[in-house]
Amino acid sequence: MAVPFSYNIRNLLVRKTTTLMTASGIALSVAILVASLALVDGLRAVFDNSANPLQLLVLRKGGNSELGSTVSTEDFEILRAKSGIAIDRGGQPLVSQELVNVANLPSSQNPKGMNVTVRGLSPVGIKMRNVRLVTGRWFQSGKREVVIGKAVSDRYPSARMGNHIRFGKGDWEITGVMDGGESVINSEIWGDFNQVSADYNRQDSSSSVLMRATDPVAMDALQHSVEADPRLNASTITESAYYQSQTALGAPLEFLGILVSAIMAIGSGFATANVMYATVVRRGKEIGTLKTLGFSEGSILLSFLSESVLLAGFAGVMGCLMALPLNWVTTGVGNMMSFSEIAFRFHVSIEALLSGLIFAVVLGTAGGALPARAAARKEILTALREA
Amino acid sequence: MEIVIETKNLSKDYMRDDNSVTALKNVSLEVRCGEFIALMGPSGSGKSTLLHLIAAMDRPSEGEVLVLGQDLRGFRKRQLARWRNRRIGFIFQAFNLIPVLTALENVMLPLKLTILDAKEQVEHARTALELVGLGDRFHHFPRQLSGGQEQRVAIARAIATDPDFILADEPTGNLDAVSANDVLGLLAALNNEHGKTILMVTHDPHAARFAKTTRYLDKGMLLPEGQVPQDWMATPVPPPSATTPAAQAQAQ
Amino acid sequence: MSSSYVSLIRRNILRNRRRSAFTVASVAVSICLIGLLFALTRALFFGGDSTPAQAMRVVVHHKIALTQDLPVSYERTIETIPGVRAVTSLRWFGGVYKDARDPKNRFAQFAIEPKTLFDVHPEYQILQTAKERFVAQKTACVASRPLAEKLGWKPGERITIVGGMLPATLELTLVGIFDPPRDDTSSEIYFDRDYLRDSLPPGDPHRDMVQQFYVEADNQSAVPEIARQIDDAFGESPYPTKSEPEQAFMLSFASFLGNLKLFLSAICGAVTFTLLLITTNMLSMSVRERTREVGILKTLGFSDGEILAMVVGEATLIAASGGVIGCGLSVALSAALASIMRSAPGFVSVVRGLGFSPVVASLTISLAILIGFLSSIAPGLYAARTSIVQALEYNG
Repeated sequence: MAVPFSYNIRNLLVRKTTTLMTASGIALSVAILVASLALVDGLRAVFDNSANPLQLLVLRKGGNSELGSTVSTEDFEILRAKSGIAIDRGGQPLVSQELVNVANLPSSQNPKGMNVTVRGLSPVGIKMRNVRLVTGRWFQSGKREVVIGKAVSDRYPSARMGNHIRFGKGDWEITGVMDGGESVINSEIWGDFNQVSADYNRQDSSSSVLMRATDPVAMDALQHSVEADPRLNASTITESAYYQSQTALGAPLEFLGILVSAIMAIGSGFATANVMYATVVRRGKEIGTLKTLGFSEGSILLSFLSESVLLAGFAGVMGCLMALPLNWVTTGVGNMMSFSEIAFRFHVSIEALLSGLIFAVVLGTAGGALPARAAARKEILTALREA
Repeated sequence: MEIVIETKNLSKDYMRDDNSVTALKNVSLEVRCGEFIALMGPSGSGKSTLLHLIAAMDRPSEGEVLVLGQDLRGFRKRQLARWRNRRIGFIFQAFNLIPVLTALENVMLPLKLTILDAKEQVEHARTALELVGLGDRFHHFPRQLSGGQEQRVAIARAIATDPDFILADEPTGNLDAVSANDVLGLLAALNNEHGKTILMVTHDPHAARFAKTTRYLDKGMLLPEGQVPQDWMATPVPPPSATTPAAQAQAQ
Repeated sequence: MSSSYVSLIRRNILRNRRRSAFTVASVAVSICLIGLLFALTRALFFGGDSTPAQAMRVVVHHKIALTQDLPVSYERTIETIPGVRAVTSLRWFGGVYKDARDPKNRFAQFAIEPKTLFDVHPEYQILQTAKERFVAQKTACVASRPLAEKLGWKPGERITIVGGMLPATLELTLVGIFDPPRDDTSSEIYFDRDYLRDSLPPGDPHRDMVQQFYVEADNQSAVPEIARQIDDAFGESPYPTKSEPEQAFMLSFASFLGNLKLFLSAICGAVTFTLLLITTNMLSMSVRERTREVGILKTLGFSDGEILAMVVGEATLIAASGGVIGCGLSVALSAALASIMRSAPGFVSVVRGLGFSPVVASLTISLAILIGFLSSIAPGLYAARTSIVQALEYNG
């Protein structure tokens, strides 16, 4: 009962220039939308991968970031003695004292230097994390040696095996490169806890303490125990929740991306409507003919609507293809909480691509609805007379 | 013979700017099965309007149109569309083929609204095109055809659904003499050999000779059979004699 | 002749109102976007115009990171540099007030030198009596009015802040409320650095260290030279400095947003290009549809040049209208964005940069006109060059 699709497809092909130009506006909106979703997904992935569900972070009371937090060595000993802590094969409790600060490294993009998180920790801390060495070896205690994350190594020309970097009171030798999967670890520089603390004049304290519980129930109990303990001045947060809160970082970027995409879409909607109106006028005689042959108003409406939807669908595919290469792009964004840069890869997921396509189709429908209705409603005689 | 088309006191007025113009006044016409009628008259006499009203492309101001006894007034738009598809084949002066469809696809268009399946649609369309002598042009686009060929495709399209009657609005208006003759001959053959009822509007007396009967419209009024408008400048049409194409066709 | 142009152009535009309106709308929306992106880029990377107060200040911090300390003794050296009117030191305390989970209770606390604070910030208005009390009383503090209003503080209020990074608890008394300039909504309190020093345990390495110095210059032109001299003075010391005008310092926070600049420019470029394509296309359609009319006009005596002028004129007028509307929309949108961002910390200068700027406005409108002009050249030349016969025979 419907006008065949070949009618619409061929009409789109016959006017290649118009079709392409209109499609490019929609394609751009889709590309920006997909890119924004990919950015947020990528960031979220990094943070999700950084957390171990059984681990929790101890910070000073009321603190919400490692950087602004203090936990004294005395407190560390108290924490270490608590029950419910997981024990490694050697009988050592998995509790790690860590000092976090920021180093400034110059890069090609930013000659003024970009800030990178420096973490002083002991071998226990390394064990508690999902990380492996790519090259070189771990730092030795008592030495000014560091291991850098893979992303740091990729993005800063000065950070190479055997080179030195300068922070704190002087130079440190890079003895290895580590890979923590897609997590914040790859954006950090790790050194021996005592060495790093001394360098920052923090001998009696650390920024935070990382603890692993034996099971979820124990973790709950441990949290309560630490927070209720009158000797400590501490608060706890699960590692998952801690990193979760940092995904809020992506929010302004996501917002901006969606805003830009939406505005672009509105503009494209008008352009599509304009083009379709012109099409309806230009093909007036055809509309009249189709109606004479017996096609109903409904089928005419559907036909013209599907033309704009086909156009938009094509544009949607174009837009997705434009955004797809981002999937292999790594970039960095600054983290206000840790005052340093985190590297992440754009994640162009199937959902993002599908959202882009649906967005395009909706746009095509919105832009083409009124012109299609105008086409359907044209009186046969008026339509036939259109030159 | 049964009456295929009957109009009773048909009138049509329409507004042009602030003026009311009368296109048709009290037209009562009967068309019987198998007839080939040419409707003639000066421009502005309302011939095309009459055709449009019969095809239910427009609604009358007064009067009735009955096709095969059915009064079209009660029909809603969707019903009219269906009805038009089944009952009428319309031929336009400007051919009105869809440029992006091939000849075969153009002829198949009205068939898409029937219950025939795809294979049957192709069959019917091919038959129609062969009938009009374009069996070797199935996959040509309109721009690849001459004017005469385009109109023949349009005729094929008009007969593809096997309609009850054919309406032609100045079918040779855009054609040169040779193509015009081809097209008119085709129409005459459809009428003679296949018994198709045809109502043709034309201002060309030569074209009118191909029809069996000629009626005249003058200032919106249908003149009785045999009568010609008084200030009509063209040579009146002589009654069919042995030498006219219509007579020849009939003789065969 | 020109008045008939204008009327012909006007009638052409009004003839198909919907087409013209939609074209204007399309241009307006795209220009609005471009204007917004311009404004954002400007706010994030050029910081808008520095306020008169900012233009007179230099910020000094550790060369490597903001979190590294500088000795408080540097102050004396800085004071001797010609062109310096006043110096104050700054340390961000980062403590906890009541329940830090309530966003209301999160505000910046700075340890400074009370005697010089208002010399370095002449734009902060405060009662003379309050200022004197601030200098006289060691445990005194002053708060910005936005903060005071948010928490319902009045002079005399006792404020306790528990140290986070620094092991000290501060018991402060609010002696005065200062008014920052109208569009500055920072929530902060200032207290005496000597009080902090005395609250830290002896031997604490932070005792005689500060994080930044704020330097007020005599006049704006001295600012770059002052910055240079400070860095030269301490370049070889164990605590090298980086000094820059306050504007530049504020902007360094924007570098946090990584490749945003590239991202924004790329989008701007892509949008402009796409808009050009779309507008050219719509204009071509218009012109093509009126080819026969062009033939008639030529028969009547209009020259090729006049036809070209009319086509270009019509396109430019439509694009310009779209540009003006789009510009207006982008100003409104920027303002809305600014008010959303106001609640986010650390974005004060960005917010200021998003205000109305004649530079951005004229840039966007000029861009619109340029696009109208460029997009009409091809169709215009086509219309002008078509021969009369061709034009009259044109069949769509």
